[in-house]
Amino acid sequence: MKDSTSVDIPETSADARGEAPLFTGKSSSGGGIIYAHKPSSAQKKGLAIFDLILRISAIVTCLAAATAMGTAEQTLPFTTQFFKFDAGYDDMPSFLVFVICFGIASCYFLLSLPFSIVSIIRPQASGPRILLVIFDTMVLGLTMASAAAATSIVYLAHNGNSSTNWLGVCQQFTDFCQATSGAVVGSFIAVAIIALMLILSGASLRKH
Amino acid sequence: MKSGPNAKASANKHDGCSPPNAGAKRVIAVLDLVIRVAAFIGTLASGVAMGTADQRLPFSTRFVHFKAVYDDLPALTFFVVANGVVSAYLLILGMPLSLLHFIRSGATKSRVILIILDTVMLALLTAAASAAASIIYLAHEGNSSANWLAICRQFRFFCRRMTGSLIGSLGAMTLLAALIILSGVAISRRRR
Repeated sequence: MKDSTSVDIPETSADARGEAPLFTGKSSSGGGIIYAHKPSSAQKKGLAIFDLILRISAIVTCLAAATAMGTAEQTLPFTTQFFKFDAGYDDMPSFLVFVICFGIASCYFLLSLPFSIVSIIRPQASGPRILLVIFDTMVLGLTMASAAAATSIVYLAHNGNSSTNWLGVCQQFTDFCQATSGAVVGSFIAVAIIALMLILSGASLRKH
Repeated sequence: MKSGPNAKASANKHDGCSPPNAGAKRVIAVLDLVIRVAAFIGTLASGVAMGTADQRLPFSTRFVHFKAVYDDLPALTFFVVANGVVSAYLLILGMPLSLLHFIRSGATKSRVILIILDTVMLALLTAAASAAASIIYLAHEGNSSANWLAICRQFRFFCRRMTGSLIGSLGAMTLLAALIILSGVAISRRRR
């Protein structure tokens, strides 16, 4: 004669959706109710919708930063025999890397939209989310690195450096300077959006 | 009160790890500690190398500087500070927690905290290393459009020091990334 009070209850549909408290007959303490603190299906769906919105805004922001930097170009109306007086993004390797990396980032976010939509339709599936987390982390590192590199060059262009005798070129190339500075500011916003996206994905993936 | 078979099953579960699990856990913990020590040494060495790089050229004129120190360039200052912060974090928080995980294959909460802080430190180090890398590239190559001369021709010792420090920091970044992946693996294994 068993002393236990284990009760066999078949899985309800609420349980399958992840909304019922876990009430199984297999618990080690003999059938107590174990409340799961994992996010419910509705919460996961909400987080996934917000993730989609963030993803779309990340596409727009990354594209804007890349375009602003890519179209920054200025030719001064005078020349001399030895000095160049035109500036474009491909004159500085940091800016070139910036344009390329943010182009890659915005294309990646565009391609990741289907996975995001799948995780809205099926909130409990963690496969697409994990894939997105892995690639989002890589893209975060990429964008952060290129934003930081471009920032140091833009700072140098604004202020120059007396120790290395590098003159600040913003006095002459005002339009170019404004465009690149705006692009760098936009890239900071993009990096913040990507970081927020990553944190939210982590929050919706937890199991306890 | 637990029934017979149920009690035995739960007793087996909480008994301590079965041998293959324990072996793998030890390996992960040891690897974590070793990589953390290596990253600490890497960031400390990079910060110190950049911070003590100093070169004075033996000639000077009235208007032009001929001295190079890390705090002449803001990006290099940021680099030194970031390396200092990451190595301090590894020394004060990272290595003791890792040692704790090695002694007691312990709670998940401290592992999660460790992963979060590792990610933050990796982000900081990445930003600092990239900013310094763009400045060091400029120092090596110069830029003809902005008429910035490559200073490496004159400040050869300073240049070599800077570049070596940056490479060490990039290696430490790779180790930090490996640490994050390792911690993730360790956390996901504990859920069984």
